[in-house]
Amino acid sequence: MPSKITVENVSHEYFNPNTWQRVHALDGLSLEVADGEFLCIVGPSGCGKSTFLYLVAGLAHASSGRILVDGKQVERPGRDRGMVFQDFAILPWRTVERNIGHGLEIAGVARKERDTIVRRYIELMGLSGFENKYPYELSGGMRQRVAVARTLAADPQVVLMDEPFAALDAQTRNVMQEELVRIGMHERKTILFVTHSVDEAVILGDRVVVLTHRPGRVKASIPIEIPREQRRWDVLGAEEQFGRYRQDILRLIREEFDAQERVTA
Amino acid sequence: MIGFARAVAPFAAFVTLWAIVVAVFHVPQDVMPSPNAVAVAFGDAIRKGVLTVYTGETIRRILLAASSGALIGVAAGFFVALNDVVADIALPVIRFFQSLSGIAWLPLFIVWFGFSDKTIVVAVWYTLFFPVLFNTVVGVKTVPRVYRNAILTLGGDWRRMVFDVLLPGAIPYIVGGIRIGAAFGWRVLIAAEIVIGAGGLGYFIFKAEAFHLTARIVAGMLTIGTLWYLTDFFVLRPLEEATIERWGLVHR
Repeated sequence: MPSKITVENVSHEYFNPNTWQRVHALDGLSLEVADGEFLCIVGPSGCGKSTFLYLVAGLAHASSGRILVDGKQVERPGRDRGMVFQDFAILPWRTVERNIGHGLEIAGVARKERDTIVRRYIELMGLSGFENKYPYELSGGMRQRVAVARTLAADPQVVLMDEPFAALDAQTRNVMQEELVRIGMHERKTILFVTHSVDEAVILGDRVVVLTHRPGRVKASIPIEIPREQRRWDVLGAEEQFGRYRQDILRLIREEFDAQERVTA
Repeated sequence: MIGFARAVAPFAAFVTLWAIVVAVFHVPQDVMPSPNAVAVAFGDAIRKGVLTVYTGETIRRILLAASSGALIGVAAGFFVALNDVVADIALPVIRFFQSLSGIAWLPLFIVWFGFSDKTIVVAVWYTLFFPVLFNTVVGVKTVPRVYRNAILTLGGDWRRMVFDVLLPGAIPYIVGGIRIGAAFGWRVLIAAEIVIGAGGLGYFIFKAEAFHLTARIVAGMLTIGTLWYLTDFFVLRPLEEATIERWGLVHR
């Protein structure tokens, strides 16, 4: 399969105004992501996972190295790379409907076509009946569903997800994960999904990349050979195969966590 | 209807109390007139056309100053908020000028524009402009960065950023700024009219003093207070409800 995203030897340093320190987030990260691949990125906390997504989105600029999407270097944000943020970034002054249609509105899609697409995502995400509600009238789970719908409705080729389900309760999270697997089967999009949950990475990803502790590099890349149809929590929870992947990845993260402690100690 | 009754009842009680106090203590009419005398003076001033003309003057001035002050204040606020360098230079200066009320500028404005309508409007405009500008800056700066990032990843340009994100996001502060600015401006307007003497409600009550028309003074004061109350009730508060409260940004 052709490579959709190419990350070449990317390093990133930034200044954190809160701690008044330079943060060396990434150090020579290289990665290839295939077209239509669902890639999960895990690693110890603070390993630069989120920073990496911001670089691919074009919201931050790598200190060195380069990132190519479809062979073109990323310089600024664009609608070809949609992003779902950790803290529900939907706009409080827009209704569910108008939030989901925002990307289409920006792209200048005609009203009628826009309505059709928005309608489809409202149904897909189980938001029927809430079209005209404002975000504050929704639960956390529903807000994040609006955020996911908004990003998908804009039809980006690459979807970047920054721990989108971290703030949800366990039940809602599992439902959302299964929905995302379902959506992933329907719409072949290239998805980069950052998470700190190994379970989440294994159930969602075609491949899981483990980053080292900060400054982050790729420590391991593990293809998950579980058919997408089987990726449901009631089936998967007990699977021996699932458990093995989980153990392997946890061990890798644990190594990095220990290494990090040795560095700081 | 109940809402109306609840809005009017406290005032009815107040007027009743006032009538009783004046009657019981036999307060001389030229010190504190009875509500009845004020009503008569009010009717008289309207019949002669003085009150209507002067009220019209005052309303024209506040509308002119408020609309242009709010519009230019918001625009200037955006300009400052979106340019870090400009903000660094301008904010301390803005803070300084904000502390000087339009009244403190009157002597200078009189030198520049004379005892004219222009001087009054400029003083009100000045008083209104700074709170709007300042609040707009704060409002724009408090819009969470993640909203901006979200719009950028949806392909939005700077125009989208301003009109879809920053402006609605800053609205609570902007509306607050307009409310404060308009309230300050209203006070300065009356004071400036007293000083300048080019018509208006301030001039109306000040001139009445020269002839010891106490009832007319109070009638003028009631008009000033009532106009502001109505503006707040029918314009400013609905504006707030239509935006902030509907979005759940503020709960009453």
